Amino acid sequence: MTHRTPDTPGELDLDKLYAARLHAARARPYLATALFALHTVASRSVPTMAVDRHWRCYVSPGFVDRTPVEELAGVWVHEVSHLLRDHHGRSDRVARERGLTGPGERLRMNIAADFEINDDVYGDGLAEPQGAVRARDMGLVEGKLMEEYLRQFKLGPRTAELAWLDCGSGADGLGREWELGPDGAHGLTAQERDAVRFRVAQGIRGRPGSAPKGWQRWAEEAFHPPQPWRDLLGAAVRSAVSGAGAGEDYTYGRPSRRSAGVPGVVLPSLRRRPPKVTVVIDTSGSVSDTELGSALLEVAAISRAVGGRRDLVSVVPCDATADFVHALCRGEGIPLTGGGGTDLRTGFARALKARPAPDVVVVLTDGQTPWPETRPPCRTVVGLFPRGTGSWIESDPDYVPDTPPAWARVVDIG
Amino acid sequence: MPTYSQTSQLDVAGELLTLLRDTTTEPRPDTQLEALTLAVAADLPVLLWGEPGIGKTAALTQLAESLNLPLTTVIASVHEPSDFSGLPVVGDDPAEHGVPMAPPDWAVRLVRAGRGLLFLDELSTAPPAVQAALLRLVLERRIGALQLPPGVRIVAAANPRSSAADGWELSPPLANRFVHLQWTHDHEVVVRGLAGTWPRATLPQLDPEALPDAVDFARRAVCGLLSARPGLVHRLPSGETRRGGPWPSPRSWDMTLCLIAFATAAGASRDVLSLLVRGTVGDGPGLELLASLDRMDLPDPETLLADPAGAVLPERGDLRQAVLDGVVAAVRSRPEKSRWDAAWALLVRALETGAPDLVVVPATTLATLRREDWDVPESIERLAGAVSVSRRADHAAARVAVAAKAGR
Repeated sequence: MTHRTPDTPGELDLDKLYAARLHAARARPYLATALFALHTVASRSVPTMAVDRHWRCYVSPGFVDRTPVEELAGVWVHEVSHLLRDHHGRSDRVARERGLTGPGERLRMNIAADFEINDDVYGDGLAEPQGAVRARDMGLVEGKLMEEYLRQFKLGPRTAELAWLDCGSGADGLGREWELGPDGAHGLTAQERDAVRFRVAQGIRGRPGSAPKGWQRWAEEAFHPPQPWRDLLGAAVRSAVSGAGAGEDYTYGRPSRRSAGVPGVVLPSLRRRPPKVTVVIDTSGSVSDTELGSALLEVAAISRAVGGRRDLVSVVPCDATADFVHALCRGEGIPLTGGGGTDLRTGFARALKARPAPDVVVVLTDGQTPWPETRPPCRTVVGLFPRGTGSWIESDPDYVPDTPPAWARVVDIG
Repeated sequence: MPTYSQTSQLDVAGELLTLLRDTTTEPRPDTQLEALTLAVAADLPVLLWGEPGIGKTAALTQLAESLNLPLTTVIASVHEPSDFSGLPVVGDDPAEHGVPMAPPDWAVRLVRAGRGLLFLDELSTAPPAVQAALLRLVLERRIGALQLPPGVRIVAAANPRSSAADGWELSPPLANRFVHLQWTHDHEVVVRGLAGTWPRATLPQLDPEALPDAVDFARRAVCGLLSARPGLVHRLPSGETRRGGPWPSPRSWDMTLCLIAFATAAGASRDVLSLLVRGTVGDGPGLELLASLDRMDLPDPETLLADPAGAVLPERGDLRQAVLDGVVAAVRSRPEKSRWDAAWALLVRALETGAPDLVVVPATTLATLRREDWDVPESIERLAGAVSVSRRADHAAARVAVAAKAGR
């Protein structure tokens, strides 16, 4: 056997470290690419293991000696998770946005990032290392993102024992003295880091059954972070109302104001025909009051986006029937009565029957409804309330609600 | 005297301004400017996305200076469609002579100069009708009856949807014609620049000798990916988040091919190429292309099998494992005793030059390929290190399983 044990105390036991990595890669095959991409550096300055943003992994020889292989495997996965989840980039962004400066704040970011990882990476063949910090130890609800955890705790007596915690600049974005820095050897370039993250995300998306929820969410959003739905809804409505035939456009029907300056030239002028928007609100039992409240707020926001003409925005509350059309100018007192099942087809029919016909129909719904079979003669924007579990009908357990049709622009309201 | 003191005050102010403007430059690699230069050199329309005040115009000025092109800036959002499609001028007898579409003066001057950098600023805040008129300018290089000469290059700038509160989004056809570059500022560069030293980017130079190889490489890269992944050829943006951005189509793949050739001929880094490719076909397809380029860079399994003793394996663990997996797959596809032995020699070499855990999976797979009449090579003894690492991992897994059972 060529089994290598450290000759002198303090030398890094690479065989043990790599056995742990192999175990980690077997327990989490979808992380293998990332685990193998890490470059190992022996370092006496780190308490346990740490990563920098260039994908180097600093390892304390003493820590390897006193830690069993299965726990080392957990630490491998923990450290590579910091890099895959871009904790250094996110820490920098949070620090800029919220004005968090100083090493104390960076320590908090490191702790919050550890909470995010430790929530769901262990178990299922991977042992949790001794002393892994968990959000529940501080009395916090688990399953949150690092940014959310950051708002929920302060440094104090409860975190005093975490002060030694140090996962390196890969975890919180703050460069350390003992790190090799951007010019050091064996670092990954930005493009190489993206490529590794992309391959891992692709592996997870390719076989969604084998990865836990947290990793699947990460894989979905790794390269397409979700945008705030308000912006998206606003942009969708704006682009729907400003398209040709509705809203602002050029016309030769009246001479341009610039015409006087250039005689002999025919110029078009900018005309604004305020578009008419009808909002169909799903008031069925499956939509909660809070959601309806936020939906109404959005209606007000949309009316402003359209140009402030509230008389051009009307609201159709809709469950199985849609009997009334309300003008928004009657104030906020639109009765959102209803309950029971939804049939948005009646809502559409009601909205399209109005004269003059609407230019844009905005539908706010949870999507558990039949949709019109043909494309309505106007632009359609659908604001979709998320539903974690699929719908369920007593008489038909296999019932799957239709997804919104392709002709509508769909914005997920989260 | 009041007049005298006023003049001297202005003189002093002038002196102060001269001092303030007295800055120096230092060479510094700048990936985004390199990407911009390559795209402009390749004569592809570029769209810079960036927050207002971030230095897009300054970058354009520097680019124009270094390419020795006069810069013409046109703010798209304050123009009317007719400024780009031509202003109809009524003549003596419109029925007889028609109505000519007169181009605006900046276009006339640009055509007369024969060369220049046309900068269309604030594209995203231009109304849809103006964007439609710009489509023709960007695609056909026509303004009214004028044809822009080949020496004119087009760069546009837009504010991202989040910061342009009243902005329109780019229509997919217009978005598909641009190389989208995200323009960000580097904190260090700005601070150092305000202190008096601005960066001077060293711009990429095309190597005349490398041109045929560059074209060959680019064709292999794009065709290799697209023949394996036909679904990537054309994919309209579906989600709300991706609207207005780059997306793959035969047109944008053609642009990508061109950009890969330019980046290769200029010896640009992968980071520059990454910006260009992802800005042309979008993040997903772009990253897939880059991943397949990485695989093209890996040593060919057949070459390695032909000379295991002289093999050079990549340092990075994930790439090394990809190479070893490739070698084993090559043996599986054409199993011969000599190839099988060569693969074992390669695994031994990998074990001696790198981490042992990478060798475990390829060695296990290679062992299953053995035919009955093949003798185990002697070199396999030297793989004991990998075996022991594998055994330790097995033991750890067993301990975890036992602990999990006990915990239950």
